[in-house]
Amino acid sequence: MDVKKKYEIEAALATEAQAISAGQLKEENPLDTSEDFRVFCEACRRGDLKVCQEMISAGVNLNARDQFDYTPLILASLCGHYEVIRLLLENGALCERDTFQGERCLYNALNDRIRNLLLSYDYAKASNPLQPLAAHLTALLARPTPKTTDITITAYGQEFHLHKFILAARSPYFAEKLATAPSTTSWKLPNSIPAESLGVALQYLYFQEVSIRRALFGLSDEQELAVLKGIDKIGKQLEIERLFEDITEVSDRRLLRQRRAEELERGRDQLESWYKDNVLRHKRVVDTAKVDTIQWDRENSIFADILLRADDDEEDDKESDDTDRSPGPSESSTPPVRNTPGPLSGIPVGPGREQSGSPLRQRASRKSTIFPAHRAMLLRSEYFLTMFSSQFKEAQDTPHLQIITIDCSPAVLETILTFMYTERADFGLEIAIDVLFAADQLFIEKLKQRAAIIISALGNGATSAVESDNPRGATDADEPVDIYEVIRAGWDTRVQRLEEFAARYIAYRLEHYIDQPEFAELVQESANRVKARQETDTVELVDDIRYYLSERFRLRFEDSGLDEMMDENAAVQATTEGDLVDAMGEFALDDGIPEHLQQEENFVSVEQQIAAGVIRNLDGEIVGDEFAQDAMNYQILLGKIDTLLEKLNLDA
Amino acid sequence: MIAGRGRPRIRPPRRGLHGDEVDFDKTWAIIEAAFREIHTQNASKLSYEELYRHAYRIVLKKKGEKLYNKVHEFERNWLSSEVRDTIQHLISPNLVANAQSVSATTPNERRVAGERFLKGLRKAWGDHQVCTSMLADVLMYMDRVYCADHRRPSIFNAAMVLFRDQILNSTTSETDARTLLSLLNNIILDQIQMERDGDVIDKQLIKSCVWMLEALHEDEVESEEQRLYNTSFEKEYLHTSRAFYRGESELLLRDSHAGAYCKHARQRIYEEDERCKQTLLESTGPKIQKVVEDELIKNRIHELVEMESGVRFMIDNHRLEELHLVYDLNRRVDDRKTETTRAIQLRVVDMGSDINKDAIAASQAPAVAPAADPADKGKGVAQDKNLNQQTLAAIKWVEDVLALKDRFDKIWRESFESDPLLQQAQTRSFTEFINSPSFPRSSEYISLFIDENMKKGIKGKTESEIDAVLEKAIILLRYVQDKDLFERYYKKHLCRRLLMNKSISNEVEKQMISKMKIELGNNFTLKLEAMFKDMTISEELTAGFKRHVEGLGERDPKRIDLSINVLTSMTWPLETMGGAAADEEDQRPRCNYPPVVDKLKRGFEKFYSEKHSGRQLTWLANMGSADIKAVFPKVVQKDGSFKERRHDLNVSTYGMVILLLFNELGADQHMTFEEIQAQTNIPSIDLIRNLQSLAVAPKTRILIKEPMSKDVKPTDRFSFNEGFNGKFVKIKVGVVSGGNKVESDRERRETEKKNDDSRQFCIEAAVVRIMKQRKELSHQQLMSETLSQLVGQFKPEVNMVKKRIESLIEREYLERIDNATTDMYRYLA
Repeated sequence: MDVKKKYEIEAALATEAQAISAGQLKEENPLDTSEDFRVFCEACRRGDLKVCQEMISAGVNLNARDQFDYTPLILASLCGHYEVIRLLLENGALCERDTFQGERCLYNALNDRIRNLLLSYDYAKASNPLQPLAAHLTALLARPTPKTTDITITAYGQEFHLHKFILAARSPYFAEKLATAPSTTSWKLPNSIPAESLGVALQYLYFQEVSIRRALFGLSDEQELAVLKGIDKIGKQLEIERLFEDITEVSDRRLLRQRRAEELERGRDQLESWYKDNVLRHKRVVDTAKVDTIQWDRENSIFADILLRADDDEEDDKESDDTDRSPGPSESSTPPVRNTPGPLSGIPVGPGREQSGSPLRQRASRKSTIFPAHRAMLLRSEYFLTMFSSQFKEAQDTPHLQIITIDCSPAVLETILTFMYTERADFGLEIAIDVLFAADQLFIEKLKQRAAIIISALGNGATSAVESDNPRGATDADEPVDIYEVIRAGWDTRVQRLEEFAARYIAYRLEHYIDQPEFAELVQESANRVKARQETDTVELVDDIRYYLSERFRLRFEDSGLDEMMDENAAVQATTEGDLVDAMGEFALDDGIPEHLQQEENFVSVEQQIAAGVIRNLDGEIVGDEFAQDAMNYQILLGKIDTLLEKLNLDA
Repeated sequence: MIAGRGRPRIRPPRRGLHGDEVDFDKTWAIIEAAFREIHTQNASKLSYEELYRHAYRIVLKKKGEKLYNKVHEFERNWLSSEVRDTIQHLISPNLVANAQSVSATTPNERRVAGERFLKGLRKAWGDHQVCTSMLADVLMYMDRVYCADHRRPSIFNAAMVLFRDQILNSTTSETDARTLLSLLNNIILDQIQMERDGDVIDKQLIKSCVWMLEALHEDEVESEEQRLYNTSFEKEYLHTSRAFYRGESELLLRDSHAGAYCKHARQRIYEEDERCKQTLLESTGPKIQKVVEDELIKNRIHELVEMESGVRFMIDNHRLEELHLVYDLNRRVDDRKTETTRAIQLRVVDMGSDINKDAIAASQAPAVAPAADPADKGKGVAQDKNLNQQTLAAIKWVEDVLALKDRFDKIWRESFESDPLLQQAQTRSFTEFINSPSFPRSSEYISLFIDENMKKGIKGKTESEIDAVLEKAIILLRYVQDKDLFERYYKKHLCRRLLMNKSISNEVEKQMISKMKIELGNNFTLKLEAMFKDMTISEELTAGFKRHVEGLGERDPKRIDLSINVLTSMTWPLETMGGAAADEEDQRPRCNYPPVVDKLKRGFEKFYSEKHSGRQLTWLANMGSADIKAVFPKVVQKDGSFKERRHDLNVSTYGMVILLLFNELGADQHMTFEEIQAQTNIPSIDLIRNLQSLAVAPKTRILIKEPMSKDVKPTDRFSFNEGFNGKFVKIKVGVVSGGNKVESDRERRETEKKNDDSRQFCIEAAVVRIMKQRKELSHQQLMSETLSQLVGQFKPEVNMVKKRIESLIEREYLERIDNATTDMYRYLA
């Protein structure tokens, strides 16, 4: 591949600096000396996934630089933390060929694997993270079915079918107008503004990348002038001051991209604040029993056209099996305007709760949360798309808004809604798996991936934050995740990343899990999965674990970076790797512990004993013996896996 | 929602999703009930969310397979119990019957019953599709997860397959083993047949049934070729169509004439095309086209062309429209348009041969009436008349051929869309009859035609008209194979025109030459151009000589002006000018010129040799002419006038020599033929002819012959006719047997012999050229190369080439290579 010469990059850097100081370009990597950023950089240095994820969620600028001109991405790639790099890139860290910082990143990459990862995220291929949201909104402008529009704007006989909530979110003018008359269904443009101008303005409001040149194509000078004037006028009227400025053509690719990114960012922020002020503010918690009595009129101040319902969790299996939820036509006499829950009743009507809960909960009636929402945004999920396009009840026009139950907790539903309205997906580990399942059920692929990222980034827990700190596979008593749940969730929702994560997680703590009966169960399950899929003999999970196990120990050897030490140990390694029994015998001569091992396969945390023994026995001696010990451990663990497979009668 | 350092614990997923089993049977009961509602079109009351959730749970609990099978079974039952009955009720007895015997029912009954059945089927299919797609919506999660993982067809596709198996492949009734599918095919075919017979049918209805067949596949692979439409219906359709059109074409050929047949065939092709667009699928278009074309055209085109009202009839009656139809049909099935081409060629050759025959007949017919050609001077001479008639025949031939060509060109343009293939074919046919061995005179006729036009025809015509005439000649020339023969004739005619100043316009002559140059190449016109060059040089010479004489001294009143043409002997066909006497020319003693002339002659020879040393001038007295001022004495005329008469006589050189003899004689003296001959040394044939024109022709009787008769005998005596009286001052004395004539057979043989001789040289030259370059060559190759080299000039006979090769071997230009497997020759330097 072609690499730019040094002087070329320097020249580019100089012109860039000039452009920045002249205010034409925004600096891509602004200096950031805040404490948060320092912590973030430190985490990138050390490869602490968890802290990285937390800082990203807290909103640090991924592309800033520290006082030494390092960006987090450069740090991570220099230090060789593959997972961290992936996390950074997925969250929008930039590594662009032919820019100074980008090339720096590539030059500094510790190994080819990282380098290739960086290249695969080159800007030419990656797109703006907000693009999917923008694309969806743009598509709404021309989408005929299912019908989601609720206002029609006419200009010179040309009709535009639009969505009130988008107009209100994007244009202060509309926000005000619609607030006073939320039931308006049509709006006329003053005659002085040509339809083309309105078209451009609407495209802009709907996040489309507007090209003024395309809009003016084929028009005479006179018409062109009229359209431009119209755009100016409508921009002022709708109070979108930046309209004119933002659609003016620029030729510079980078400037264009920056402006587009800014524009999307701003648009998203508008949408988000509107969403928070309206949708979230109007969510209501009601008694589950009373849900059916809720009646929202079609004409409401936030233009919602659907209600989503999520029920509070209860430790009640039967509840979720309850199929009797579909609300029939309500006979309630509540007023047609927006309606909070009907008369409160202290009598719990929920089905029996024989399971033990806290006494408090038992007394409280079950609650449901109702979110008003807009079909137009829900269409981002294929589930809703199918639902609203079908001929089922949900797609029918009813006088009052329909309530659709979503099979998840209110918190999860809120996360999903937030994602669909704003493309934001920052949520905690505690609901991550629920989000994962819900996203799977609703076919929101991107949210699924986000959930997987969060689980695999935060799930490692404090102890494993830096793997090299925990060479002996010591386990934390307080694990942040139930790894069995994670891997099963990964299987159920077909997220490869979770399977990998879990395998890695287990491999790094194999000493802890290897002897648990649940683990054996899991291996068995994995084997069955494989058989169900295709007739091969490998057990995927075990293969993955073996791979990460080898990575774990190899890492230790490589980290030392001292070849002579390797040589010194070559003999030992050769024999251990060649034949486990031989190696054990050899060690038996030394301290006799392997003997002990051979006798007791099911010993609890054997390796810790070994570690303890080795430390006790070899304390203060040359480092080389520690390697020998690692090699030992490795072989023992492999041996254990084999035994386990044998026991399960699996061929691997 | 920021996860703080406070170590959040991941929560196990909600109980609702995990852990406990779902009650499959109970859930399935709910789903099944909903499906039933969907199938009875009551879906609007159902909650999508609820159904989806149930299906989702089942799949999540790894019971996807069970669900899938249940749904499958449900659909099967539904189709076999509910839908199949409805369809079977629609089958009326006459529908079933028509498959066996068409005669039983009237078409109208059949149509109504058929439409009822098709409508029912269309509704069943439409409903099935709508319902299944709703089912698929509900089962979306199963489709995505279970079906994708286990490589099973999506539920929608599976349901479509069920429709095929349960409905289309089911029997029509308990007693009848035929499937609904075959019945459906029959009904559609029946409807199409009705449309062919002129009825109006519901195209949209059939189209929707066709779409159904298109959407279903014969097997599970779902390849394009395996669509039921292709495997079942289309096959049947093509088959019945073939039979139908075979019958129809037979009927039509028998009952109608070719033009109508063509129109009908075209109409049918168009109809089928439309039918594919409106009623069936476009993909069938090419296939049914082929069937129609096969049956209506390909297998019939021969008969069609050969019909009494076929191509021949159309050509003869100028049915250009119909010819175009024939051409159009033929083109559809045959890129080479063999049949049309063949018929056209046959007709061209036929008509051409007729023209040839006419020409031969005309040229050989006895002179019926004296030709009304005023330029004809051969009055009273039977042979001349005959020759003249031949000339007319030649011109008529050329014009006939051109008319024929025009006619076929028009057909070609208007009926055959200027198809290059057909043009080639026409050209071949023209070549064939023009060069046919039974008619060897084409080259001569064409040259004669040009000659005639150069001399008279183009008088008073505009430039573009002249150009058209020349172009026509060139077109014909294109067809002639023996170009060398033509060259020979053309040279002869041109020579005569140039020397006798008969040509009307030099410009046109040159134009003709340049046209030939374009058409036949440089080589061909080289000698012709040289002739023109000689003429120009001669003019300069004449002028130069005149100046030279003037420069010699004082003006001699008796001086004779000399206009001279110096001809290069190789370029000019002088022997042909010499007529029959050409052979003896060399031995012939020179003509004795009178002293005045002789002096002039010597003067010019001196002048010429000063300019060009080493060239020999030979004087051709038989080709020259002279202007003489003659004074006839005062003699009483018939009209009683009595005065001196002066005439400018234009006579041939020989005539001048003869007349000058009488200058020295007294008024009543006479000379015998022998005396004249002795004094002048003019060859007797020329002498006879000149004396004839001077003494016999009534208008130019300057001499008196005794006894007065037409023939000139050696004993005849001649004296000066003092009483001659011409109407004009200038009198041109023609020489008998001048002018352009078709050759007599003897002449022709001569020409051909000469032509063959020159061909031999050409062949030898070509062989030597080739061998010089190739050194060694097999006989076969040498032959083919020689032929291809010479094709521009003439078409050599193979035998002649062989003889030339032999002769070259004898003369040791070539030798045979011994021991070669085939005949090989080697070039000897």
